[in-house]
Parts: sequence; structure tokens; C-alpha cells
Amino acid sequence: MDNTITAGGPANGSGSSSSKVIEEKKKKLTPVQIIIYIFLIAVAVIYLAPLFWVFNVSFKTNREIFTAPFALPKDFTFENYTFAWTAGKLGISTLNSFIVCVITLILSMFIGSMAAFGIGRMRWKLSKLCMTYFLTGMMIPVHCVLIPLFTRFAKVGLSNNLLGLILPYLTFALPITIFIMTGFFESMPNELIECACMEGANIFDIFFRICLPLGKTGLFVTGLMTFVGNWNELLLAMVFISDDTKKTLPVSLSKFVGPYNTNYSQMFAAIIIAIIPTIIVYCAFSNQIVDGLTAGAVKG
Amino acid sequence: MDRLLRNKAAIVVFMAPAFILFTLVLFIPICQSVYYSFCDYKAITQPVFIGLDNYKAMLSDKTLGFAIKNSLFFLVFSCVSQLIVGLLYAGLLTNINKGRNLFKNIIYLPCVLSSAALGLLWMFIFSPKLGINQIIEKFGGEGPLWLMDTTGTIILPMWVIAFVSLWQYVGQSMMLYMAQISGISKSLMEASYIDGCTKPMTFRYITLPLIRPMVATAMSLNAIGSLKFFDLIFNMTEGGPNHRTEVLATHLYQQGFKYFKYGYASAIGVLLLVMCLLVTLFINKVVKTEQYEM
Repeated sequence: MDNTITAGGPANGSGSSSSKVIEEKKKKLTPVQIIIYIFLIAVAVIYLAPLFWVFNVSFKTNREIFTAPFALPKDFTFENYTFAWTAGKLGISTLNSFIVCVITLILSMFIGSMAAFGIGRMRWKLSKLCMTYFLTGMMIPVHCVLIPLFTRFAKVGLSNNLLGLILPYLTFALPITIFIMTGFFESMPNELIECACMEGANIFDIFFRICLPLGKTGLFVTGLMTFVGNWNELLLAMVFISDDTKKTLPVSLSKFVGPYNTNYSQMFAAIIIAIIPTIIVYCAFSNQIVDGLTAGAVKG
Repeated sequence: MDRLLRNKAAIVVFMAPAFILFTLVLFIPICQSVYYSFCDYKAITQPVFIGLDNYKAMLSDKTLGFAIKNSLFFLVFSCVSQLIVGLLYAGLLTNINKGRNLFKNIIYLPCVLSSAALGLLWMFIFSPKLGINQIIEKFGGEGPLWLMDTTGTIILPMWVIAFVSLWQYVGQSMMLYMAQISGISKSLMEASYIDGCTKPMTFRYITLPLIRPMVATAMSLNAIGSLKFFDLIFNMTEGGPNHRTEVLATHLYQQGFKYFKYGYASAIGVLLLVMCLLVTLFINKVVKTEQYEM
């Protein structure tokens, strides 16, 4: 399997210097470029307008939505938010989401990079086959394992238990983690390990004290992706958890917001609560997330 | 050093956790799922082997017909539209200098947001009295019932959902194409300019052939993604009106966890899995033909 990570390396940033040389020759904006900018701004508006609309409406009272739909809210009220946070149980489910995502994140980075080290660095015959085994996981839709997992978990008491979410999340996060980290470990110079070997380090020293710290960027990227992916996961969480106090954010949101609820502004506030954390994370780390997702997708 | 890296015990320690998890949570359940699909299995009863009956039942399931049709529609629509729009964005963005990252990040933003939340958001935007219809009303028109109309072969709600999914996920394709385009060597581009190519011609004759492997990757990702499609539909229409916007994933959920027909739902799951594998194989065969030196 010839895996290539095109934009994966932490070094090559978001890869943007391709045609700079050519374009530096003509600094002035050509008419064509002006048209491109106008088009892109229109596109950006399409992308941002719905989010701004919801944000705006979430501060209004329910009546204002219909009387003055597009005006700014007359007096800012946070009542919608407090209501969604407490009565909509979004508070507790944010906490649940956070617990599940953080534990999955840590475990997947740890287990995933261990396996990646085993595949990328250790020398054994079946390593390629093992990689293929893990990579097929990327193609398998989660729906196929839903029913067997559900019945099995019900038997061993893992349904309605956050651990029952962590296990499948972890498993589905592993292929991408292993794939990206293997790339990182394979690209590390051999001399480093030889050197450590001479100094008398054992294999676990090499992994924990040399390779893992060096693969920090890769870990960071995969970690972020795992976190974002699991934060948004709906189907598994909906099937496995029925206890209100253990629901994760997307599930509570879908239950709270629906066609039968009539207080729109509260529902909009709930939507904002659900997407704000990811927006913040994205703003802070957008370049890393973007790199990581590209790297992960570029499989052989 | 060789001895150290061939240490069997260490290999086992490194591989075991991931391998065990993978086998227990993914591999064995898939085998079970295939087995269940040949069984009569309701939530309370034990699975009883009934052969192909579940697959025969599929033939007379009208909702499944809608689901397959809609899933295929999504598959084709998302592959084609994301290819075109993704390439368009990527081509435009690689042609500007200022604000490239800004636009890129804005277009990519919906990809990282919860599609459950975005589904609800768009549900409101297309609801009868809010959002778009409020704008249309302002100009004196009357908007259609975006998510409830049922006329035509591909009904209006499907188009709405398809465009929302394009809106949400096109960033992914765009990123992949941009990554590949910026990997093309500058000298190739310059050579083509010297030979008298205009920018669109360069795009057609240099860029397009060189990013062809990436097209295959992006397309197979889109294809699998569109077959797995669940969150948006579930939150925008829940498969309604009258099951007309059902896709395979939502139908599986309904059958499995509303009517508790585990056996039948497993059969749908197997169908989904087979479709995913076939589509990936097909795309890789057809699109990924030659690899060029870059």
C-alpha cells in the first residue's frame, strides 16, 4: 500500500506558495481577480449568513422573530440561553460530551500511536497486512455495526453508560490516527533510534521518550480531528444512550429542538450553544485542523 | 538495533490494544451483522436462521425503494456537485493571494460543525414561516413548502437537503484539491505559460490531469459519506413527508430502533456496506488511471 501524505507534514503549512512566483510579477489586481474576489465574497456570505441569522435571532423574544425577523434584537436577552442550558438539559449534556470526547481523545492518541509505531517502526512480516486491516475501518459505515454492538452492550451493561460510547468512538477514531501517525513515524530519521539504541535505551524508552515527543504535531492534529468528529456524532449516541442525564450534546439538541417545540428563540439559542465550542476550537486551530483532515483523507 | 526492532514481545504489546479493540468492536460485529441479516430477529426474541427472507422482504418494501433511490441520488449529486464546486473553489482560491486562508477557512467551517445542529438550523431556514420564506414574503411572493412538497420524481425536499449537504461538505473536497494543486511544481506552470497557455488552459491541461488521483480519493470519500448520510436528514425531515426523504441510513435506524426489526435492519446494513465497497472500487477503477510524476 503506497500511502502518501500530501499535505500531511507539519512543515508545509497550509500549502499556499504554489503560484506565488508567477503572480508576484503583476502586483496589481487584474479585472479577472476582482471578479474572483466578488464571487468569493458572495460565497462567504452564503456560508456565514445562516450562522449570523441564528445568532441574531437567538437573542430575540419569540414574538420578535415574526414581527421583525431581520432587525437586530431590541433588547438583548440571555434568557433563551439560560433556559436551553438548564431546562433543555444542554448543560449536563455538554459536560457528558466533554467527558466522552476527552477520554476518547487521550486513549485514541495513546493506543493509536502505539499501533502506528508498531507498524511504522518495528520490523515484522505482517505489518503491511495489519495496516490494511486497520485501514478498511475507514470504509466501513458505523451503521453496519450498530445492531450487534447495541445488543452486545445491552448484555454486558454498557448501554446507557458513557463507556459504551467511548469504546466505539475510540475504535472508529483509530484508523485515521494510526494512518497519520504511521506516516510520521516512518519519516523519522533512523539515526535517532540507532543512537538511542547505542545508549542502551529499550524499545519503550525509544517510543515514549524519542518518537512520541517528536510526533507531537501529528498527535495534535489527529487529536483535534478525533475530538471534533466525536463531538458531533449523533447516531451512536442516540441509539446507545436513553437516559437524559447521560445524553451527549447532539442528542439533547435534537430532542430539545424539534417541530413540536414552539419557542423558536430558545431553540436557536440551543443550536448556538451546540456549535459555539467547535467554532472556538476551529478559530484557534483552523490551520492544524485543515491540515490534519487533508492528511487523513489522502490515503493511497 | 535490529534485534530491538524485531522484539516479538514488544510488537505484541504495541499492537495488542488497537488490534483487540478493532476486532471486538468492528470486525466481530460486522460478521454478526451479516449473520443477523439472515435471521428473524426481533428485539425480544433470539435470532432464528431464516435464510434469504429478509432480502426477499426488501423487494416488497416500498420505503426501501424510496431510500435506495434517494441514496443513489445523493451519491450521484454529491460526487458530481462536489467535484465541480470543489474544483471551482480550489481553482479560484489558488489564483488569489490576499485572503486566501480567510476564504478557505470560511468555506471549510461548516465541515467541522455538528451536522445535527446545522440540520436543525436549515430546518428552520426552510420552515414554512421562517427564514427564506420570510425574505420571499418581504418581496411580496409566497415561498414553497420547502421541506414538505412531494411532487416530481426527485422531490423538492431532497434537492434542498442535497444543496445543504453540498454547502456543508464541499470544504473537504476543496481542501483536498487545494492541497494537491499546491503540490504541483511551479516550473510546470511556468513552462505552460511560456508555451502560450492562458490560465484556464493551464488549468485544463496541466492541473486537471495532475490532480486526477486526488479526484478519485475525494470522490470515494464523498461517495461513502453520502451513503452514510444520516444527521442532516434526520434533523431536517426525519425521513418525512411520508417517508419520501428516507435514505438507507435513516431507514435502517427506523427499522432497527423504532420497529425493532433487528434482522431486517442488519440486512439493510449489509446492503449499505456492499454499496460502499462497490462504489469505492468502481471510483478507484474508473477515475484513478495514470499516475504522473510531479
